[in-house]
Amino acid sequence: MIEESISDLAIRGEVEEEFGSSSTSRTWYHYVLLGACVLFAAASVGFVGSILQKSLYTWEHHAGTIITGSGWQSPTGPFGGLSMIVGTLETSLIALIIAVVIGLGTSIAIVFFLPRRLRNIVATLVELLAAVPSIVYGLWGYLVLAPWFLTTLDPWLNSWPGHNFLFGDPGQQAGPSLLLAAIVLGVMILPTFVAISREVISVVPQDLFEASLSLGATKWQVIRKVVLPTSRIGLFGATFLALARATGETVAVALIAGGVAKVQFHLLDPGTSIASWIATEFGEAQGNEVSALMALGVLLMLLSFALSLVSRWLVSRQRKVLARV
Amino acid sequence: MNDLTTMDEPVGVNQTMRDEIRRVSNATRARRILISRSMTILCGLALAIAAVPLFLLIYQLIRRGAPELTGTFFTQVPQTPTLIAPNATGGLSNAIIGSIALNIYASILAIPVGVLVGIYLAESASKFASALRIIAQTMAGAPSILMGLFAFSFLLQDLKVGFSAIAGSFALAILMLPVIVISTEIAVLNVPNTLREAGLALGAKPHKVSMRIVLPSALTGIVTGCILAISRAIGETAPVLLVIGGGYLNTWQPLNPVSALPLSIYENAKSEWPSQRAQVWGAALVLVGFVFILSLTARIWASRKQKVSN
Amino acid sequence: MTEIKTSQPTVLARDPGVTAMQLQDVAVSFNGRVAVRDATFDVAKNRVTSLIGPSGSGKTTLLRALNRLHDLTPGAKVSGQILLEGTDIYRGNLTVTELRTRVGMVFQRPNPFPTMSIYDNVVSGLRFNGIKKKALLDEAAETSLRSAALWDSVESRLKVAASNLSGGEQQRLCIARALAMDPEILLMDEPTSALDPIATLKIEELMTTLKERVTIIIVTHNMQQAARISDDCAFLLMGEDRAGELIEFDTTEKIFNNPNDSRTLDYTLGRFG
Repeated sequence: MIEESISDLAIRGEVEEEFGSSSTSRTWYHYVLLGACVLFAAASVGFVGSILQKSLYTWEHHAGTIITGSGWQSPTGPFGGLSMIVGTLETSLIALIIAVVIGLGTSIAIVFFLPRRLRNIVATLVELLAAVPSIVYGLWGYLVLAPWFLTTLDPWLNSWPGHNFLFGDPGQQAGPSLLLAAIVLGVMILPTFVAISREVISVVPQDLFEASLSLGATKWQVIRKVVLPTSRIGLFGATFLALARATGETVAVALIAGGVAKVQFHLLDPGTSIASWIATEFGEAQGNEVSALMALGVLLMLLSFALSLVSRWLVSRQRKVLARV
Repeated sequence: MNDLTTMDEPVGVNQTMRDEIRRVSNATRARRILISRSMTILCGLALAIAAVPLFLLIYQLIRRGAPELTGTFFTQVPQTPTLIAPNATGGLSNAIIGSIALNIYASILAIPVGVLVGIYLAESASKFASALRIIAQTMAGAPSILMGLFAFSFLLQDLKVGFSAIAGSFALAILMLPVIVISTEIAVLNVPNTLREAGLALGAKPHKVSMRIVLPSALTGIVTGCILAISRAIGETAPVLLVIGGGYLNTWQPLNPVSALPLSIYENAKSEWPSQRAQVWGAALVLVGFVFILSLTARIWASRKQKVSN
Repeated sequence: MTEIKTSQPTVLARDPGVTAMQLQDVAVSFNGRVAVRDATFDVAKNRVTSLIGPSGSGKTTLLRALNRLHDLTPGAKVSGQILLEGTDIYRGNLTVTELRTRVGMVFQRPNPFPTMSIYDNVVSGLRFNGIKKKALLDEAAETSLRSAALWDSVESRLKVAASNLSGGEQQRLCIARALAMDPEILLMDEPTSALDPIATLKIEELMTTLKERVTIIIVTHNMQQAARISDDCAFLLMGEDRAGELIEFDTTEKIFNNPNDSRTLDYTLGRFG
C-alpha cells in the first residue's frame, strides 16, 4: 500500500538485529509467528496452485481456443475466452477513463478549491463510498440506471452520426450493455481513485505551493506545473489500483452487461467479462467446462498479478521521489 | 555593512531584459488568470458530476430500501410470491443469519493468522518476510471471484465438502488475510522505536518487548485493520456465490449450506416478481448500513488513537 | 526609560522616491484573533530592513502580509494600509499575481521544485509569467545565478536535478529563482535558520551585495545576524493580549546601541529571547 514509508525500512532494520540475534533463544513466540506464516504461505501457494491444477486440462488440450476462440458452447465446448477478454478490456478501460478524468478533477477540487471545513467531510464521504459493496452498485445499475438508459440515454446516443458503428443496431438493444457496465464500473471505481489521488496530491508540501505563488503563478499554474508533476507517480498508482478493481469486478458486471459470449464492439449491445462469465456459468458447469472456467480464472489471475507488479514498482519509485523533497 | 569590495563582479542588470520581462508578464497575465478561473470551474464541475450518481445511488437505496425493513424482513424466511399473493415475499432472515455466521467463521480463520503474520513482517527483515509481503500485496488486489474458485476447487472438489458455510468462510478468509496482514504490519511499524528501545534497555528479551510493549501500542491499528477487513468481507458476493449453496432456511452450521445477504440480492435482482426485486433494496440498505457503521467506527477509533499518541 | 509608542509616522520619514514600501497601522488577524498589529513604518529602497523579536511576536505573519500570502488562509484578515510605490497592495489596482512578481519571497527551508533541474528552477518564475524566449530565459538565468553567487558553481551542470545541491546552494538557488523575476522587494523569512554556519555566512555576504539590486526585508530570530546585515530594524514583541505589536522602528545602529524603548534594550541585551 502506498502508506509504507522509508522509516518503516529503517525501523525494521534495527529491530531485525534484535530479532536475528536471539536465534539462540527461539521461544514459542517465534514458533507461533512462523507457524502462522507457513499457514499463510501455504494458503497463498494453494490459491494459485489449486486453480492452476484444475485448469490444466484446458491448457493441455484447448490452450489456443480458450484464448482466441470467440464462442462458448456449454456444456460440450468449444470454450472460447476471447469475448470475455475483450469485454473485460473494453469495460475496464472505458470505466478507467471515466474515473480518472472526472476523478482527477474531483481530487483537485477537493484539495485546492474546497474550503477547509468541507474538505474533511468530503474526504470521509469519499472513503465511505469506496467501501460500498459492488453488488449494491450492480443492483442500482440494473434496476435504476438500465431503465433510464433505455428511455433516455440510448435514444440520444442512437441519434449520433455513425451510431451503428459505435453502438450497434437500435433494434437489438435491450438494456443490459457493455456501455452500461462500463459506466457503472466507472462510478464504482471513482471513489477509490479519488480517495488515493486526493491523498497523494495533498501531501505535496505547502511551502512548494507558496513558493510558486510567490513567483506570480496562478493557482492553476501551480497545480499543473508543480503539484501534478510531483505527485505524478502516486497518481499512476491510483490509476492502476482503480484498473485492478475494475478488471476484477464480478457481480455488478454480471447483472448489467448482458452475459452474452460474443466479441462485442457495439457498446450498447450486451457483452461479458471474464469475472462475470465465471460467476454466471459456474453454477451449472460440469467437467471440461469447469476446467475451462478455471482457465479463465488463471487468465484473470495473470492480469491481476501483472497490475499488482506495476503498482508495487510505482510505489517504490514514489518513495524515492518523496525522499528527495 | 556596505563593503563593496567583496563583490567579484558587477551585478548589473540589462535594462532591456528587465523591460522585456515586465512587458511579457503583464501582457499574458489576464489570459493566465482567466485560464486559472476556468479550470477552477471545470474541476468544480467534475466534483459535481462525480457527486451526482453517487448521491442518486444513496438516495435510491434509502428510498427503496427503508420501507422494506419491517419486522418480517428480519425474522421470516423468504417465500416465493404466488399469483394470489404477489407480495408475500417473507423476509430475509436466512440471509442475515447466514451472513453473520459466514463472517464469524471467516474472522476466526483469518484474524489470528493474519495478525500473527503481520507482526512477523513488521519485526523481521528476512527474505522470507519480504516474500510474504509481496504475496500479501499481490493477493490483496486479486479479484474476489478467484477466492471462490479456490474454495470450490479445494474444498468442494478435493475435500468433497459440500456446499457449506465453511466453504464460504474459507473463501472469505482468504480474501481477508492479505488485508489484515498489511494493516497489522503498518500498525506495528507505527509504534515509535523509542518504546522498543526503552524496553530493551531495561533488559527485557525482544519477544517480551514485542508482546508486552509493542503490541498493546499497536492494538488500535490492528483492530482498525480487522474491522475494515470484516466490512469488506460482509459485502462480497463473488467468493461465496459458488460455494455456499444458498437456500431458504435459517441455517448457520458450518457444514450446512447457508445463504448470505449479497447472494440474496444477486439472486433476486432479476426476479420476475416486483415485490422480490423491491425486497432486495432492503438487503442492500442493511449491507451498506453495516459497512458504513463499521468504516466509521474504524475511522473514529483510528483518529482517537492519533489524539492519544499526540 | 519610558516607553514611547511609535505608532505615528516613523522617525525616518523619507520622500516617496526613496521608499520601497510603506506600512500604516497594519494588523493581521485570524478568525478574529489578532496576531500582529500597529505595524507602521517605511521600508527604504536598496536597504536591508530586518524584523526582529522573540518567537510569537508576529514577524513572519507580518512579512507574509506583504506579498498577500495570507490570501490562502481562510479567516485571515489584513487591515491597515500597505503601499508599494504608492499603490495599496490590497485595495489598489494591482492583481495579486502582479504584486508577487514585484515582491518576491525566499522561505525558511530551501524549497527548489523537486522535479525540475537547476535551470528550470531558476527560470520557473519567468515561465509561469509567460516568458518563453530561450535567449531571454538564458540571460535572466545567468544574471540571477550570478547575483546569487551560484553561477560559477552550477554553470556546467544546469540541467542537473536541483535536489543534488547542498542545503546552502539550494537556498541560493531559491534566491536566484526569486531574483529572476526582477522584483523590487525581496522578502526573506529566516532564510538561514535551516543552514549550517558557513552557508549562513555566504548568504549574509550575498545580502550586502544584493541590496544594490533589490530592497530586502528579512525576518530573523537571530539578533546578531540582524545587527550584522541590516540597515534598518523593526522590533516586534508579543503584547499581553497575545498579539504581536511593533515596539520600535529605527536604524539598526540606533536599535542596537541606543534604543528608545526599554523593551528593545532588554531584547538586544539578550535579557529574554
